Amino acid sequence: MTDLNTVTEIEKVKPLKPVRQKSAKRSRRIGRIVLWVALLLFSLVMVLPFVWMIFTAVRPAAELAQPNPPFFPRAWDFNNFVRAFEAAPFGIYARNSFIIGAVHVVTVLTLGSAAGYALAKLRFRARNWIFAWFLATMMIPFYATVIPSFLLVRFMPLFGGNDIFGQGGQGWINTWWALLIPGAVGAFSIFLLRQFYVTTPTELIEAARLDGLSEPRIWLQIITPLIKPGLLTVALLAFESGWNNFLWPLLVTSSEDLRVIQVGLSVFRQESNTQWDLLMAGTALSAVPMIVLFLFFQRYFVNGFVNSGIK
Amino acid sequence: MRAEKMWGWFLTLPSLIHTVIWIGIPVVVAIGMSFTDYDIVQAPTFAGLANYAEILRDEVFWKALGNNALMAAFGVPISMFIALIAAVALNQGLKGQGFFRTMIFMPHVTATVAIAMIWLWIYSGDPSGLANRALGFFGLAPQNWLTNGDLALPAVIVVTIWQGIGLKMLIYLAALQGVSKELYEAADVDGASTIQKFFNVTIPMLRPATFFVLVTSIIANFQTFDLVYNLTNGGPANATTVITYQIYVAAFQQFRMGYATAQSVILLLVLVVLTIISRRVVGGTDGD
Repeated sequence: MTDLNTVTEIEKVKPLKPVRQKSAKRSRRIGRIVLWVALLLFSLVMVLPFVWMIFTAVRPAAELAQPNPPFFPRAWDFNNFVRAFEAAPFGIYARNSFIIGAVHVVTVLTLGSAAGYALAKLRFRARNWIFAWFLATMMIPFYATVIPSFLLVRFMPLFGGNDIFGQGGQGWINTWWALLIPGAVGAFSIFLLRQFYVTTPTELIEAARLDGLSEPRIWLQIITPLIKPGLLTVALLAFESGWNNFLWPLLVTSSEDLRVIQVGLSVFRQESNTQWDLLMAGTALSAVPMIVLFLFFQRYFVNGFVNSGIK
Repeated sequence: MRAEKMWGWFLTLPSLIHTVIWIGIPVVVAIGMSFTDYDIVQAPTFAGLANYAEILRDEVFWKALGNNALMAAFGVPISMFIALIAAVALNQGLKGQGFFRTMIFMPHVTATVAIAMIWLWIYSGDPSGLANRALGFFGLAPQNWLTNGDLALPAVIVVTIWQGIGLKMLIYLAALQGVSKELYEAADVDGASTIQKFFNVTIPMLRPATFFVLVTSIIANFQTFDLVYNLTNGGPANATTVITYQIYVAAFQQFRMGYATAQSVILLLVLVVLTIISRRVVGGTDGD
């Protein structure tokens, strides 16, 4: 009896099921639309400061002078950028930052891929110790080494009028050396490149050795072409840290010829008497190149940043 | 293989020398210098623990440490919470999620100096500043966000929250990839609602990622410098100063290198402990 009852009950319930699914589907669909709108609003709030920057940078001066200018500028006036360039040599600043970023891309890729490859693929006794050393240096915050690094630059022997004991002159202060050498390679780039090299097939190296290829040719011509995404990721991060760096260039340079864009912006703000339209034009110049680069190479940036969190 | 051995050394040596010169030696020098009264002009003399004793009595240092702690205590959890919600929402396969992700992540790729300039203008004391326009919209009086001692630190924390959401969201998104779909299907079979699934599946599965994001965010927070330098200069009356800013002031404005390095050694100890904790949690990535 009971068995029979349950069977009929199931049969009764069955036809109801599709209807229930349909309403569940509909409520899910509404839920997704609500979620989508919420995400859109949230994203707009997140980019609002950038929008405000652009709007201010193109706002005609007369409009900015009004007590309560409209949110959307009535006209787009790119004259502010011209005036910003007249007020401060932003072109030179941008050129300097670009040089630092580009040189660091080259040095980080060269030194980093050499060390990364050796740590991933070559067997030598000190390998694990060297790898542990690099990992340890990643723990050291910049602020713990900045003072001795600055003193090292300042008292660099035989440079900038210094004698062999580093006395009497300025050392590397106000030179390209100070801007380029300390950041020429970093443990994190080595670590990241090593992680990419680890995934390449060791059999390929062994086969190349049997064919009589030399070690540097195996590294450069056989294995390194396999990790192009890794190279691009590291190159983008190197350029980004060169372009966005602030404190180190602030400390080691004071001449306008060597001023980088972030320091230039900071100094411009102090000297410009808060002319917001010009300041935002300068800010856009310093921010937009990285944003554009990010839009083009998002995947690689994301790759690097997530890894930098999980080092 | 002798060639392999030789090339192993040859390829790692430049980077090895570079990190020894620019990180290894500076750390040792910094620790040594923290026991001296070095001022760049005169040769250093041994000062024992005098610098550390002075730090203990230095109210501004404690103020800075307290500000770092407040930024970590309020900024990090709020930023993490928003990032978690955003990551879960972006993991639903909605249309245009790549676009949303890009917009949310944008502050992270932008130089902090540029970000400071933008927020300087948003927080501008005159009524046309965006923050004050928002207040005006609700009929409230304009505020001097960055020069009012009560508002300045919260104002700075808001910027760190906004700037920090992107990276936390990405780490959460990466962690969500690792949560098995079967768990959600099993929860569906049990008739769990979306909210229940969030609290009973998503949150527990993301616990390692959450702890990791927490520790690395605190580490990053303790290294805030560019923002404070450009937004407030640590003011008003040290209301927004942080340890890194105090190190900068002591070393490069007062040229008290000994005292500044003592502060940097304390920062180093705090951060190394935090880093070791975070590596323990992630585990495994060091070896392999």
